[in-house]
Amino acid sequence: MSTSTAVEAQPDSKTRRYDRQLRLWAASGQSALENSRLLVISASATSTSILKNLVLPGVGHFTILDPATVTPRDAGNNFFLEGESSIGKSRAQEAVRLLAELNDGVEGKADTSSLEHILDTNPAYFASYTLVIAHNLEPKLLERLSTLLWADDTLPTLVVVNSAGFLGEFYIQFHEHTIIDSHSETAPSLRIDKAFPALYDYSTSLDFASMDPTDHTHVPYVVILVRALADWKAAHDGKPPQTAADKKAFKEAIRGMQVKSDEENFEEAEAQAYRCWTETGVPSDIAALFQDPQLSTLSPTSPPFFHLLEALRRFTLEPPHTLPLTSTLPDMKANTASYIHLQKLYKTRAEEEKAILKGFLSVPVDDVLVDSFVKNAHGLKVLRGKKYGTLNADSAALASNVASSSKAAAIHLALSALAAVGPQPTIETLTVAAQALLPPGTELPEDFSDAVGEMCVPFVLCFSSVSPMPRVSSPNADAVSPRFAHCSARSPTADLPNTAAFLGGLVAQEVIKMITKQYVPISSYCVVDLVETWTGTI
Amino acid sequence: MSPAVWTMDVFEKGNFVLLRLTLPLPPWPPTGRHDRYYDIDQILNTPGPRTDPAFLAGDGVKDFLRNQAKILVIGAGGLGCEILANLALTGFKDIHVIDMDTIDISNLNRQFLFRQKDVGQPKATVAAEFIMKRVPGCKVTPYFGKIQDKDDDYYMQFNLVICGLDSVEARRWMSATLVNLVDPENPESLKPLIDGGTEGFKGQARVILPTITSCYECSLDMLNKQTVFPICTIANTPRLPEHCIEWASVLEWPRVHGDKPKDTDDPEHIGWLYTVAAARAKEFNIEGVTWALTQGVVKNIIPAIASTNAIIAASCCNEAFKIATSSAAYLNNYFMLIGTDGVYSYTFEHEKREDCPVCGGESLDVSISSELTLEEFIDLLIERQDIQIKKPSLSTPTTQLYLQAPPQLEEATRPNLKKKVKELVAQNGEVTVTSTSLPFSLSLRLRFT
Repeated sequence: MSTSTAVEAQPDSKTRRYDRQLRLWAASGQSALENSRLLVISASATSTSILKNLVLPGVGHFTILDPATVTPRDAGNNFFLEGESSIGKSRAQEAVRLLAELNDGVEGKADTSSLEHILDTNPAYFASYTLVIAHNLEPKLLERLSTLLWADDTLPTLVVVNSAGFLGEFYIQFHEHTIIDSHSETAPSLRIDKAFPALYDYSTSLDFASMDPTDHTHVPYVVILVRALADWKAAHDGKPPQTAADKKAFKEAIRGMQVKSDEENFEEAEAQAYRCWTETGVPSDIAALFQDPQLSTLSPTSPPFFHLLEALRRFTLEPPHTLPLTSTLPDMKANTASYIHLQKLYKTRAEEEKAILKGFLSVPVDDVLVDSFVKNAHGLKVLRGKKYGTLNADSAALASNVASSSKAAAIHLALSALAAVGPQPTIETLTVAAQALLPPGTELPEDFSDAVGEMCVPFVLCFSSVSPMPRVSSPNADAVSPRFAHCSARSPTADLPNTAAFLGGLVAQEVIKMITKQYVPISSYCVVDLVETWTGTI
Repeated sequence: MSPAVWTMDVFEKGNFVLLRLTLPLPPWPPTGRHDRYYDIDQILNTPGPRTDPAFLAGDGVKDFLRNQAKILVIGAGGLGCEILANLALTGFKDIHVIDMDTIDISNLNRQFLFRQKDVGQPKATVAAEFIMKRVPGCKVTPYFGKIQDKDDDYYMQFNLVICGLDSVEARRWMSATLVNLVDPENPESLKPLIDGGTEGFKGQARVILPTITSCYECSLDMLNKQTVFPICTIANTPRLPEHCIEWASVLEWPRVHGDKPKDTDDPEHIGWLYTVAAARAKEFNIEGVTWALTQGVVKNIIPAIASTNAIIAASCCNEAFKIATSSAAYLNNYFMLIGTDGVYSYTFEHEKREDCPVCGGESLDVSISSELTLEEFIDLLIERQDIQIKKPSLSTPTTQLYLQAPPQLEEATRPNLKKKVKELVAQNGEVTVTSTSLPFSLSLRLRFT
């Protein structure tokens, strides 16, 4: 049956609904989302903001775990509660009801039990979820939850989100995350410097001199370069252009091949000439993946990704010591026939090299996966995560973050201190708590006072709001003057709608990347300051 | 209570200008846990370390925010829905929204104020109703139409404007309109403009203080250049599926359908284009023409997701909240987010362009070849990243070089198109460029090389 004549009808309503996102993560990403199950702990404004951005694109299922009832405060700052009519009702149930309205294809469930009770009585509860999100969770429960979920790499990924007023941060706890389609913005090599036989033969067989002038202006630059390089090598002991003078001469040779002055294909060839002396090898970040410990312990039960990676490693050991050829040819000046012919050469060779790579596989792997792996080989990623809390337990690592990214570290320290101190912080208790995380003698970052100032206000300012807060230039426990000791809260517990929405978007982006295994999620803390509006990582 | 007024105050750093509210000193209110604004009031009751010293915490600022501030939202789409919800929750109670579009099924993956049953209805109206139902006490006034329908008096009534648009042209219009609105004698005429935009996992938010900071026009050259396929490729040497689709859309549609306008929202029209493009692709052995690609090319579809819109809209609304209340420093002046590889963002001050045709005052120097014809020169103006003017009309202080309309003048000036610019304009001569799509004229100074 002919494959090229089948004409599609207008897409179905689901495809139309998801059109704008399918253009980012395609049907494969969509299917991963639809098979995912999320657990969100608390129905805070931040939690529902995150969920909104995951229900809309169509995750399979979400559960909100929250024993609280809706207060006027909740109803005021949470869009997924319905004003006064929600007050006094279960916060989880109200939020689930209003979130589920966003997408008929998503299943929502409210669970009004307490997390503590579940941790005590039913630790297996979490296993059915793909990913768990916790916002402003009390530190002792968070520690229990993160330890439980870290115990086994089949348990769900944990996303920890903390916020206070204009400040926030989040962290993703995962063991290992492999990405085939990272949507890398670097194009794979066309291997002009190592032309495969069919390309070489085609390029060297063309008779440029006697060619029809119109055809001459339509020879793709790839062919021109392969030919020019072959001619150059023949005249230079088989070596490509090396010195600056060589390169200049090479470009002049290309210009010399022109029969008219305005042949755009030759102009393209000259502009792309660097491809002839930039040797195509295995990109260093891909070569680094070949050192992955998973490869030395590869077994039939290892994830297919690592079997493919091992096959790729073995592929690169053979000449021409490159990644498999790309089948995607960029557009270039050419007529239809010459472009399509060149495209066919690439496709055929890419299929051959894919078959070679498949020959190195020691277990059967689904063809669709092999195709995707080969096509995206230049952008493969392996991320390894750490347990939540690892950074705060490592005072030396924290100190080095203070030195290298002081602004982000200041916010992280302030939020960590706030979690430790609880909802009635003072500058003094926060400073002591933050200082305790750092090695003795390490100064808190300069911006720490600004960060904790968003949570507490010096006593004097409580009564006179017209003078600016004095800066604490090198704050530590001893240096805090007595007048800082009595503070009223600015926003230690404020779940501001804008901060909630901002974090809601950021966290949802990362969750989508984790679930679809496309694009590259963050593997450190992401810190947010919405006073000066910036994000940072530590 | 006296009405709130914006006053301008030059901050110690020099060009960083703070807008602040001058309000009578308010009493200190107690805030209960049982208040709907418990969270917001923590910010409004107490200054932070990076709060403008002039911030007067308490009832006055709350009164301004909740009873006096009038804010305009341009666009009720992906960003607009998010912006409206955030503004309502943070306590803005008099919100106006303009949008000329109706709801399409493809909006439902992110425009969360709309449901399947709303498809076909005006976005502005449905969004306004939803917000008023969900957030009691918030009044949202919709306008289903174009921003260009409204005059200066209309825009004068607002304290602040937030744009959540997907069109460069509309943004340029809004930015230029607000710059033109500024009357140095009247501080109230300065309307801060907060602009957001997204594409896939990327986006940006910025604060524009018209005439004071860089305006939208100042940053035109930051836009990604749109792919334009040369007509000769489309007609003679197609290589990509996109070339076949453009052939169907640009050449075949008018040839077959004459003057009948092409409606890219009509599935029958898309279906026709797709079928014609697919047939051409088959003829040339080109693979990859699909319905989705056809639609993407002819509608110039930009991928869009709820999460990116949420980030950018939140950032816009957060700036609006901080500017309206002075409760914290605000963005100076550009926030750019790239979420494809980790979370990367860049916050920086975009500088004003002295030769910005909207807010710069100086004319733009353009060097061109003495051989260039007026027609080629016009093409160059359309192409140039920092100009991007569609259908421009050109004149010198003394003569009309080429006018797009009315037809008689177009005909009268048409012969100039073939002439060399040098024959029409003196060295260092001034050329004024206008276009019906833009509410300003561009002043160029020509140098011949």
